[in-house]
Amino acid sequence: MNAERFIEELKSPAVLITIIAILIPPLTSMNPYLLNVFIIMLVFIIFSSAWNLLAYSGQGSLGHAAFFGIGGYISTLAAVATGITPYITIFLGGAVAAVAGFLIGLTCVRLREWFLAMVTFGFAIIVQTITVSILAQFTGGWDGIASPRLLPSSIPNYLTYEYYSVVAITIGVILFIRYIIHSRIGIALAAIRENEREAQAAGINLAKYKLLAFCLSAYIAGLAGALEIHHFGYITPEIFGIDISFWPVIYTILGGLGTIAGPIIGTIVLTGVWDGLKLAGMTYERFIIIGLILIITVIFLPKGLVSLPEVIKEKVAQWRSGKEGQVKKEETGG
Amino acid sequence: MEYFEVLLQVLFWGLYAGCIYILLATGLNLIFGVMKVVNFAHGEFLMIGAYITASLFALLNYNPYVLILLSMLVLMGIGTMIERFCFRPILGTGKLNEIFISLGLIYVLQNAAALVWTDEWRSIQSPYASITIPVGPLNVPLDYFIIIGFTAALLIGLYIFLKRSPIGRAIRATSQNRRGAMLVGINVERMDMISFGIGSAFAAAGGTLWVVSGQVFNPYMGSMPALKAFAIIILGGLGSIPGAIIGGIIYGIAENGAAFFLGGPWKDTISFIVLIVVLIIRPVGLFGEASE
Repeated sequence: MNAERFIEELKSPAVLITIIAILIPPLTSMNPYLLNVFIIMLVFIIFSSAWNLLAYSGQGSLGHAAFFGIGGYISTLAAVATGITPYITIFLGGAVAAVAGFLIGLTCVRLREWFLAMVTFGFAIIVQTITVSILAQFTGGWDGIASPRLLPSSIPNYLTYEYYSVVAITIGVILFIRYIIHSRIGIALAAIRENEREAQAAGINLAKYKLLAFCLSAYIAGLAGALEIHHFGYITPEIFGIDISFWPVIYTILGGLGTIAGPIIGTIVLTGVWDGLKLAGMTYERFIIIGLILIITVIFLPKGLVSLPEVIKEKVAQWRSGKEGQVKKEETGG
Repeated sequence: MEYFEVLLQVLFWGLYAGCIYILLATGLNLIFGVMKVVNFAHGEFLMIGAYITASLFALLNYNPYVLILLSMLVLMGIGTMIERFCFRPILGTGKLNEIFISLGLIYVLQNAAALVWTDEWRSIQSPYASITIPVGPLNVPLDYFIIIGFTAALLIGLYIFLKRSPIGRAIRATSQNRRGAMLVGINVERMDMISFGIGSAFAAAGGTLWVVSGQVFNPYMGSMPALKAFAIIILGGLGSIPGAIIGGIIYGIAENGAAFFLGGPWKDTISFIVLIVVLIIRPVGLFGEASE
């Protein structure tokens, strides 16, 4: 990579934001509460980016909690059974989530949008039921099980190290997704999203690429789930809940669907709003506000916050030309 | 003979649960037929309908089977407003957007209900709760019969409305061919609002019948019946009202059978397993058409 290209990369919002992420903790004097908030935020940046990768191929899943949770459970069970550090088992969690994504993807790639949304939603519920019934002896049923921490809390300043390790993984995932989206695969996925028939006519194997998107997305979602669980140190079947499935959707839409920066910006802004409203003592109102933000975004800013500068520029240009037009009218009229 | 008794019990539970799903699925299908929109927040209309009936019941202490009509009227109003301000602006901008709008509505409606009515579990008592009617070896609550009868009456009413009234004909025309309907001077946007209103009212009826039969409810109770209604729609075909009715009955019975023979946790899950299996075999649903 030459220097010019490197500077160009630096300008991309994704990279800028990760740089800010690295600088934040020292600026907030390593406040543990804030570090916790930031770690969860990073996990959800990974998770939303995973969801966004699938949506990039035109497939909107409403059950990504299934992959998030499978990653968490598998990684936990593996780390408990073998004693290996969670930093390695999270990748196993992702791999098993990818297998689950492959299996459910086999059905989903042939479905229309509504059916896909319903099936993925149902899938999360099925996984939850299996977790608390058939697999209860391994998973602890509804009570859940303890999960090894990413770093033992005996290490001084462990939270800071944990934060930076999660930052590193987040950057890795985002660069990977960037690479995918700019590769032939990404171009094929975008073509499928825009028009399936034309994509097929151009020689793109629809099922293969959609399935690939499913696997990659499930893998990254599983990775995110495993990270979150090892950070909390505990896992329960609540992880398959509807909320967990909906968050990445909301984050991504607000930030900007189908862009790399979208899920990042959306997660940061909404986490800020969410925690701000919590500090203001709101409970149900927060959900109402989040719901309204989603509806308003879809109707008035369909390309999300990343398109805001352009929209404003356009509006200003319109307003200016409108003003000039008025002046001209007055001149010719007068 | 005990086995026969169990089967009969499952059949009655299934029929009664099926009625709720039929009301939801019929409303969804009516909306889909006209607007080609799937409202994932339809279960929240069911929940709000239940709460409105319960509030009116607490206020007026009148028979809930009469209050159901008031609740339907209120929901019809709410439904038309939601159509006008949430769904109409995004009509034709992509199917994913409808799903996202519905998600937002789920958040808003559930938590608005929790703000107004708190999120405690509640229940209301039917005036006929103690009356049962013997059917063979069983004692079936009178409420089950009223629920089945009320559902049938609503469906027949809808059928007559769609077949005979001028508005009903306009709705059918719009659902058959939107552009054609526009050409002959039908205000298709008004038809959108009317069908959305009727669909919401049906959901309110379903919600009320659900709680009158003694089920407990809270602001989050709507999601599960709504998802089952979607499963029924997939089985019965998108936009097909007869498919929704047959699918609803089969579904209610299958679900209660599964709960009885496989155990409680499987009650909600079995439906999605059936759904996924059906979609593996036929990606457009059992009676769905291959093209749009």
